[in-house]
Amino acid sequence: MTDVLPWMFIIVAGAAMLVALGSLWLSLSLGLSDQALGDVRAQLTSDARRALVSEKDALLQELGDVAFEHDAGKISDQDFEELNQKLRAQARHLLHELDEGAEAFRDEAEALIAERLGDSGENA
Amino acid sequence: MPAFDIPFLGTLILCLILVSASYTMAMAMGAGSGRPHLLPSARWGTYATCAFLLVAVCVLAYAFQVHDFRIRYVARYSDRSMPWWYLIASLWGGQDGSLLWWAFLLGGYTFFATRWLRGRYTELQPWILATLMSIVIFFIVLMLFSANPFATYIRTTPGDGEGLNPLLQNYWMAIHPPSLYMGFVGWSVPFAILIAALVTGRLGNEWVRAARLWSMIAWTFLSLGLLLGCLWSYEELGWGGYWAWDPVENASFLPWLVGTAYLHSVLIQERRHMMRVWNVFLLALTFVMTIFGTFLTRSGLIASVHSFARSDIGQYFVWYLGFLIIGIALLMIWRLPKLKADNEIESLVSREFAFLLNNWVLLGMMVFVLIATTFPLLSEWLRGEEVTVGPGFYNKWMVPLGIMLLFLAGLGPLVAWRKATGSNLARAMMFPLGVGLMVAVLQFLFGARLGFPPIVEPTEIYDTMTGTILAWTAAVAPVVSFSTCGFVLASVGQEFVRGMRVRMSKGEGALTALTRLTSKGRRRYGGYIVHVGVVFMFIGFTGAAYDVEQESALRPGETMSIGSHTVRYDQPRMEADPNKRMIYTDMTLLDDAGKPKGEVAPAKFIYRTHPQMPTTEVAIRSRPAEDVYVIMSTVDPSTRRGTFRVIIRPLVAWIWFGGIVLLLGAILSMWPTARDLVRERETAPRRVRFSPATAVVALAIALATMLAWVGVASAQTDSSSSLHAGSVVINDPIERQLFGRLLCQCGDCARLPLDTCACGWADEKRSEIRELLAAGEDPTGIQESYRAQFGAKALAIPSDKGLDRALWAVPMAAMVFAVGFIILVGRRWQRRGEELHELKTAATASAPSELRYESRLDEELERFEGDT
Repeated sequence: MTDVLPWMFIIVAGAAMLVALGSLWLSLSLGLSDQALGDVRAQLTSDARRALVSEKDALLQELGDVAFEHDAGKISDQDFEELNQKLRAQARHLLHELDEGAEAFRDEAEALIAERLGDSGENA
Repeated sequence: MPAFDIPFLGTLILCLILVSASYTMAMAMGAGSGRPHLLPSARWGTYATCAFLLVAVCVLAYAFQVHDFRIRYVARYSDRSMPWWYLIASLWGGQDGSLLWWAFLLGGYTFFATRWLRGRYTELQPWILATLMSIVIFFIVLMLFSANPFATYIRTTPGDGEGLNPLLQNYWMAIHPPSLYMGFVGWSVPFAILIAALVTGRLGNEWVRAARLWSMIAWTFLSLGLLLGCLWSYEELGWGGYWAWDPVENASFLPWLVGTAYLHSVLIQERRHMMRVWNVFLLALTFVMTIFGTFLTRSGLIASVHSFARSDIGQYFVWYLGFLIIGIALLMIWRLPKLKADNEIESLVSREFAFLLNNWVLLGMMVFVLIATTFPLLSEWLRGEEVTVGPGFYNKWMVPLGIMLLFLAGLGPLVAWRKATGSNLARAMMFPLGVGLMVAVLQFLFGARLGFPPIVEPTEIYDTMTGTILAWTAAVAPVVSFSTCGFVLASVGQEFVRGMRVRMSKGEGALTALTRLTSKGRRRYGGYIVHVGVVFMFIGFTGAAYDVEQESALRPGETMSIGSHTVRYDQPRMEADPNKRMIYTDMTLLDDAGKPKGEVAPAKFIYRTHPQMPTTEVAIRSRPAEDVYVIMSTVDPSTRRGTFRVIIRPLVAWIWFGGIVLLLGAILSMWPTARDLVRERETAPRRVRFSPATAVVALAIALATMLAWVGVASAQTDSSSSLHAGSVVINDPIERQLFGRLLCQCGDCARLPLDTCACGWADEKRSEIRELLAAGEDPTGIQESYRAQFGAKALAIPSDKGLDRALWAVPMAAMVFAVGFIILVGRRWQRRGEELHELKTAATASAPSELRYESRLDEELERFEGDT
């Protein structure tokens, strides 16, 4: 082990150095061009949608928790009704927002499908 | 010695890291300031920085393996006889290397965080990366300008190194510091997420969700690090305890306290969209405390058995801390309008308020520990007088606070969110309170017979009313602690049963109900299991009230009796390896009939490189009811006569068991759901999926391996410990109280009180004081003359008068003020909350356009229940 270990460290260090230099090169070339702009914009859009989905999941979780606590006798019937109604209203609102947001994606998807079909038609 | 110039290469790589991190930070800030196309560039720059950090660590590790003593750090912390595993542990054994190790771990966290961020939180991402890079830059600047691990000797290169301190040559060195560092460094990621949220103004629950898992990972590692630190202290340092309230121990406890407060408080924000300012403050404070802790350890400003040599890096930390505090404060003030709560507390009898009280106790403890830790510095600065704050102070003040915290751990789960009705709460509390009461009654009836009396002898740390109150609080602490443990266990048990009943009412069997309950509510029930772990640990802590110890000089074949045990000294035995000589003393534990029931072999190790520092190797026989802890103080090679100190420490094993339960609970609460894993597949197809979810699984495997290692290992498995060489004899409670207040002044163990320190100087001083007591002198007078002779720093606990009183009066006043403030503000919130609630209920009712989503919502709920 004593003989092998120094070599292992050299090999790992060498590999890491290559990765570091490669990453730096990639970083510089990406930084000097704006080819990634489209990706980032698309990411921003899907990011906003993901945030909504995540919020919806949190609300669904909370709805489940409230129902559970009510069943376990921790929340009175009246409080449960109020809380449940409020959370459901928020969740409905989010579902509505998600549906509205999906319109843009649908148009984009349809355009992509049409483009793809067009391509294959041309190839054929 | 290698042909190429490793020191130059190492320093060059540090420079490359600085350039790469600065460039990445600039790119990330550009991406966050309206040039989003720079984001991928910043991400690749981050990977490059992380890879350079790996190169730097590998180069230093290589230098250790090939004994490149041109490098000062290598020469100071290794020698040619050390095995390869200690050569690896030497990487973090000293100041300079441990800073590189800190930065390397930060690189690891940054790498995983960057991978995980791919395709998520695009607006937060640039600022997260920029913040992480700024922390890397700080540590690299520190190394390049003040603590370069690749620095060389100016003159001649030594032929051999000085070797790693014998105290550090044990398996704990391989696992305790890395896990503690992982805990410290881990808080950088949630902190970076917080800064990104503050800069971008996205201060809803998005950042909280993003930071959740990373905070849990950091908290789990910090808990593991603290637990392993206790084990190290107990098995290796050889003084008989597991926590000495040493400044460096406190330094790692401070972020744990604040981090724990944050993990509770953030639940209120997630659930009720409130306490936003408070959560920002707590998370920022946790990170600041990790830097403050590193500063305490590194600067050498406060005397500690753990600290590194006094150096000038403290000033860098002071500047950085100042920059952090001012920066965070400005950001918070700027974003205050966006940090307004959506809701208010609607009742003081609610889960939210219980969490606030939990935060109050945790921060109260933090303020106590912080003031006591820095008091020696403050005293020297304000009045030019050095003082010491010994463990006695902390033990007395922390006990009531700890029990309050424990009580809240049981109370919290019983109280409903938003508003608990009196009748519901009373019904929920009946069983746990009954169990707590029953434990107390049983202890009063049978405790003394079993060796666990409900009330122990009071020991005063001050000769004032405060001293008497504290002494009696500590005296009744065992019964209060055990009954509170019963209360919390019953409360958690009841929560499980209530949950199971709900599921069973829907037709599930008991076992299925329990499994599904736990698997579907991982976060909640994982948290409850953490509370159970804390209860077990408190059982272990309470056991310290019943410690018994005795010292005897024995010849081979002679026995000594302590508690229900008889210990026979059989023979001394010598062994050697290339690194050290080992002198063992074989001893047998005998039962009442004189039959052997176990064997122990306390020892002294004499290291080749440090012959003047023989280390004491304790031998421990551990059982659930008690540990038999044997220390060999001296052994005469010619007469074979040995001096032994035996300590019976009841219930200590429960601390380790509780720690394991706590970690398992933490892992359960982080365990990814099927939904998380599916989403990860969607996010990063066809790639290695580094993410918190997979990280948690990896963490669980790592912890299991670590715990298995700890389980297999035992005291003395190639370990080393303290430098004690004498013995401690205490004859009566007056001596115990007095010796506990006076610190040894031999120069080597300045922080140990005379009731613990076993060096020759302490032994002589005890004899002198014993004679004075026998002559009828007043203990207070003896204490005063000791103070006059050696100065205020010779007292383990500062007096209860003048500025010294500030030590407890300031944190107490802060706590009283805080609780008054919480109640006053809570009442105001309650009134406003009720109004707000009515308004929101009205607003909720007026949203009919979305009613068509009603059935969709039910479907979603059903699917969600199935997925989690």
